[in-house]
Amino acid sequence: MSDRTTLVQIEDLTVKFPGNPAISHVNLTVERGEILGIVGESGSGKSVTALTLMGLLADDAQICSGQILFDGQVMAQAGRAQDKALYRRYQGARMSMIFQEPMTSLNPTGKVGAQVEEMLLLHTDLPKEERRRKVCERFAAVGLKSPEILYGCYPHQLSGGMRQRVMIAMATILHPDLLVADEPTTALDVTIQNQVIALLKEINEREKNAMIFITHDLNLARRICDRILVMQNGQVVESGRTEAIFEHPQEAYTKRLIAAVPKRKRGEEAVVTQQPPVVEVAHLNVFYPKQKTGFFKKNEKQLVVSDANFVIRQGETLGLVGESGCGKSSLSKAILGMNRDITGEVRHASVRPQMIFQDPYSSLNPAKTVEWLLTEPLRAAAARDDAWKMTADKRRELVCEMLRKIGMDESYLHRKPSQLSGGQRQRISIGQALITRPALVIADEPVSALDVTLQAQVMDLMKKLQREMGVAYLFISHDINVVYRMSDRIMVMKDGRIIEQGETKQIFEAPQEAYTKLLLAES
Amino acid sequence: MTNKTNEKKVHSGSVNWYLWIGLFMTVTAVCMAVLGMFWTPYSTTAMSAAERFHAPTWRHLFGTDNFGRDIFSRVMHGAGTTIVVSAFVVLISGSLGILIGATTGYFGGILDEALMRIVDAINGFPSILLALVMISLLGSGRHNLILSLGIVFTPSFIRIVRSEFIRLRDADYIRRARLMGVGRARILFVHILPNIFSTFWVSVMIGFNNAILAESGMSYLGIGVLPPDASLGNMLSDAQGYLTRAPWYALSPGLTIVWIVLGFALLSEGIRRSGEEVSHE
Repeated sequence: MSDRTTLVQIEDLTVKFPGNPAISHVNLTVERGEILGIVGESGSGKSVTALTLMGLLADDAQICSGQILFDGQVMAQAGRAQDKALYRRYQGARMSMIFQEPMTSLNPTGKVGAQVEEMLLLHTDLPKEERRRKVCERFAAVGLKSPEILYGCYPHQLSGGMRQRVMIAMATILHPDLLVADEPTTALDVTIQNQVIALLKEINEREKNAMIFITHDLNLARRICDRILVMQNGQVVESGRTEAIFEHPQEAYTKRLIAAVPKRKRGEEAVVTQQPPVVEVAHLNVFYPKQKTGFFKKNEKQLVVSDANFVIRQGETLGLVGESGCGKSSLSKAILGMNRDITGEVRHASVRPQMIFQDPYSSLNPAKTVEWLLTEPLRAAAARDDAWKMTADKRRELVCEMLRKIGMDESYLHRKPSQLSGGQRQRISIGQALITRPALVIADEPVSALDVTLQAQVMDLMKKLQREMGVAYLFISHDINVVYRMSDRIMVMKDGRIIEQGETKQIFEAPQEAYTKLLLAES
Repeated sequence: MTNKTNEKKVHSGSVNWYLWIGLFMTVTAVCMAVLGMFWTPYSTTAMSAAERFHAPTWRHLFGTDNFGRDIFSRVMHGAGTTIVVSAFVVLISGSLGILIGATTGYFGGILDEALMRIVDAINGFPSILLALVMISLLGSGRHNLILSLGIVFTPSFIRIVRSEFIRLRDADYIRRARLMGVGRARILFVHILPNIFSTFWVSVMIGFNNAILAESGMSYLGIGVLPPDASLGNMLSDAQGYLTRAPWYALSPGLTIVWIVLGFALLSEGIRRSGEEVSHE
């Protein structure tokens, strides 16, 4: 096992879905014990490649050319029906997979111990006690504490990170030769992301199984992979050793991907303004109703944000960093007046701050056209304020002007959100928030759901609009690099408290708090 | 290889049989019913002692009944009555359902709680029994039938509309609409309502079918549409005394009900499937 021979060989693989090709003429090899990264944007064919290898393709997909060899055995070949029995023997035992979403890849109605044990039940003849012992051993090996208790837990009782560890335990319990990890950390927080990456690397070193690591995040791939394969539009654009790819990228697309990774570098100096504040927050506490603990008990409240003090000034960007669950979103809701269960003071200099949400797929009304979506804020403003009363022609003019500002044009007016890409939807969202010229826009993880290249474009757009319209942003993200790129000043939040705030440069060069240092070190 | 992909393509674009068969059945039924309101081959009420219990012939397609009336003419007319009654029932219960379901679902709170308990109470009764009680209070006849069935059918629409509004009231795009300062009524009926249309449409289709069956059932019990006015239900009721002597008398309205209900069910399934195909693209 220890000598490096080829484990997986994919030759000239083309897979088609009805109508459109998914991947074409892909060649790749995986050696025993190495970690191969497949990097690309969504839709580049990286997942299809992995699913084809695993024999998990949907029935309407077809292999049109090429073949897949696993340890010398032909697993799939063009023009041959899939050998389901062969795959069943290999899946789980010799090749296994970790998926992106740890919540949906575990069965919510089963105990996690039993779910992991099922792998042993299917592939081995071990007696009951032995199986249980092995599962607990495995839980310990993936860094889960008190495995005996965990054995009887249900998935919803575990955190995202723990669930992903359970998934890894399940995928590695039979010591497979190949482990395919499809965006295993994308749904997780940065700090947990790092733990999972470290664990995968550790398992790889200890057990010498080969791994295919699929990600859209070049930074992650750089940290874990021995070799990297870059894919675009279903084709392999470039492949090579990790250092070589990063130091001497050959293809334009790879160069663009590397350039788009947010680095701690910014073109312009931070603007530190003494403009009047658009919002002042003083001694703000935000509460959240807690679950009832007993039948006759009154609803209790939980303090989710405590004693927040800050101002946002006209035309500046204040970044807010913290892990999910630290109270970022509760704070923004309180500022917007969506949560009225607060004490302390939020003083707005102007009316109606607007908001940009994370998910471009749920923040636009799917039943409406782009024109309607952009006109609606104007209509709503007109209903409250006579200054916004205008003719239909004038409205349309404003809408078209906004479309051009966000880098689109009149041809999009009659499209519905389902006919737009994720990046275009986020542009429309931004346009919708800015068309009534609010003084403050709260952007809650506005680029987290986007690919790296799109991330850069959307952030540039937001900066450009800020210069043109003088709007202030409260920019919320878990990604400190993204915040660095956008913000003039930064606040760091942990467990409902703002633990540090200051100018961007000062936070990055001389962080005071240990937690800030940790965040900076990990990204 | 290319052959195979072509086959797949043809398969995915194959004919939507549900839609076409359902459309055919519904259109023929509705055409006959509409025609029956203005013209029938024979008078629906003219009796003839000489022509009692004639089996189906070319002269009387569905035969004649115990009074010598042409059953085909009466089925045409009765189907019209049944369809019109059902359509009004769905119109009333659907509108009430949207109005009440939207407000209670969106605003929630004590009003929602109270109304939902009333809905639970109504659902606790068998719906036919409840309609019976209402008819006995209001008196029988076509209009009272529509009114009482309309009210009995409302709770199911309230439930569907309410659950959809609860699902959507916290959607990101509705939050943003609130931030823009859009008025409440406008959020309810302009922002949310179009998004529940596909779900609502399916429940209207199912509700329509149930209304046809309910109308037939009520008229069969003699408390719906009153003779000599024909409806499919009271024809069935009349026919039961002659099941062995003139089986065509019961079969004609019975199979017509099956035809309408099945056609409509196929049509709604067909529409749902074609909607899915569109959304997949």
